[in-house]
Amino acid sequence: MTDMDVLTLDGGRFAHLFRPGFVHRDLYVSPAVFAQEMRTLFGRTWVYVGHESELPAPNDFMMRSIGRRPVIVTRLDDGTLAVLLNRCTHRGALVCRTARGNARRFTCGYHAWTYDNAGRCIGIPLKHAYGDAFRTDANNLLRAPRVESYRGFIFASMSEAVPPLVAHLAGARQMLDQWLDRDGGRPVVVRNGEMQFLTHANWKTVYDNAGDGYHPPFSHTSMLRVFAERYGDVDMQYYSENFDEAPLLSKDLGNGHTMLDQRPAMHAQSAWARQHVQPGREVLEKALVDQYGAERALRMLDDSTGSGMNLNIFPNLLIIGNQIQLLEPQAVNRTVVRWFSTSLEGAPPEINATRMRMQEDFPSFGEVDDTAQFESCQRGMEDVPELEWIDISRHMRTGVGRPDADGLWREPISSDLHLRCYYDAWRRIMEQGDAS
Amino acid sequence: MSTLGTRRTIVSDAPDYFDLRHYAALAETVRQWRALGEIPIGRVPAPADHAAICRLLFLEARLLDAGRLPEWLDLFTDDCVYWLPTDVDGGDPAQTVTWEMNDRRRLEERVERLATGRAFSQAPPTRTVHLYSNIETLTAGADTAHVLCQFLIHTNLDGRVSQRAGWNGYVVRRVEGLWRFVVKRINLFDADMPQNNNSFTL
Repeated sequence: MTDMDVLTLDGGRFAHLFRPGFVHRDLYVSPAVFAQEMRTLFGRTWVYVGHESELPAPNDFMMRSIGRRPVIVTRLDDGTLAVLLNRCTHRGALVCRTARGNARRFTCGYHAWTYDNAGRCIGIPLKHAYGDAFRTDANNLLRAPRVESYRGFIFASMSEAVPPLVAHLAGARQMLDQWLDRDGGRPVVVRNGEMQFLTHANWKTVYDNAGDGYHPPFSHTSMLRVFAERYGDVDMQYYSENFDEAPLLSKDLGNGHTMLDQRPAMHAQSAWARQHVQPGREVLEKALVDQYGAERALRMLDDSTGSGMNLNIFPNLLIIGNQIQLLEPQAVNRTVVRWFSTSLEGAPPEINATRMRMQEDFPSFGEVDDTAQFESCQRGMEDVPELEWIDISRHMRTGVGRPDADGLWREPISSDLHLRCYYDAWRRIMEQGDAS
Repeated sequence: MSTLGTRRTIVSDAPDYFDLRHYAALAETVRQWRALGEIPIGRVPAPADHAAICRLLFLEARLLDAGRLPEWLDLFTDDCVYWLPTDVDGGDPAQTVTWEMNDRRRLEERVERLATGRAFSQAPPTRTVHLYSNIETLTAGADTAHVLCQFLIHTNLDGRVSQRAGWNGYVVRRVEGLWRFVVKRINLFDADMPQNNNSFTL
């Protein structure tokens, strides 16, 4: 159990931002804290940079970021992955300006310094002017020193001094396994488009919300009311009067990773049966039943209905339902939230079409209201200097937390456990200082 | 009936509505729009039809800007598609996530959500001015036509001014003498880039 550490850790340069059950608004509004996060927090831990299915062929590449650092994720000829800092070693310009593609080399547009897709400098025009002692290979692109992938999820670290990825993932690893092993473990494919939301709020407000099981019946009233009036007792209606008593829980997965687990309620019987309608629901279900029989069709549909998991992987990866959500901080009060949709390789086209429509459901009926809350919180935190502290104390003193059957610490769904776990990991890394 | 007085579609009886064939047909229509050069003379509608279709677009813009969404909904057929893609390449909706891919029922749900008074993304609501221009119409059968136009939507959300721009593709059908929307595809020119609050009706 790590959730009390934030309250007891003494000293350090960030100690003034924490007190029992509260964090200081500077974590959300201070440009100086933001700059330090981009350098240290994103510089000293594993950061998700994409999914292997996004780079299916040799020499495929995509642009991503590690904090504010622009990087190029490349697949080399031999199938291995590299993460290159997208910054010409000459004057700093981007060497790649295309979001994704296939290339063996990148040439800076400014003075045509050229690099191969492993980052080696292979061409400098009029090189003689640098003198005889000049070494081309001293000008390779900076590479993230550690790159590992776990079952398709590619992570990179700007610091050599991080534990192996699986050790870092801790309890999140088994949850990721459970997420991936639905529908008999058909490979998840991340090549079906994405939504990019611009949010005028600090990037952590989005993370805070992904683990927040307190807000759904309130922030999502509009959505829940429409679906209840139309379709009755469908998904998410289990946020009833005292939803802390419902079979829903918040879990500490270690190293700042957490999960909201709605599966005990959502997948208790058929999640598909409880799923409110989406375009094409009846006609695609019928097509599947006609082809595969009712039992198999309904099992495939159950396995493609939202996962019932909000799996929050420190510091900026959120797996929500069937989507992969990546937070890209732009500034202390501006964040791009990227929702990558997923399909299943080899699944019937009716299943993947159904997945597309289900993955559009929450973003436009729910996320839009959450985003309005983030922006509203940001304004309150920025504009009222008299109120400095943000409450993260739910279920801190109720004594209802306990180890779950899998040994992981659990608390009721409305707990702020996720925030306490997050800031515990945040502090451990931030106190290590600048060097990456 | 909803509390708004609007109709509630629970299950549509339109054949093939939102099945794989329908998706393929929609993708093919968009492909043709994107490839269109000069409109063939044989597909130029009668001036009276062009004028009537323009009136439909201007009515839509006026109802949207006035927040008269139940009346706006009445401009759509029972087998309508309201489609806001996330890509600018004309991807197949059966395999590509969209910002919104609404059937009639989902469009009704959206109008109902905005009317709950608890849609925080629209509290206060986004004020809009829809401008439609460069309107081109093409016949596509006796009582069906396609419409391409450019749009600029000037918005103000709680004091913050911003614009949305792009082109719309419509399929319209004459129903009992009145032109109605069968497909509205809204092509934001930057649909694949980070989007501000688009929870109003584009």
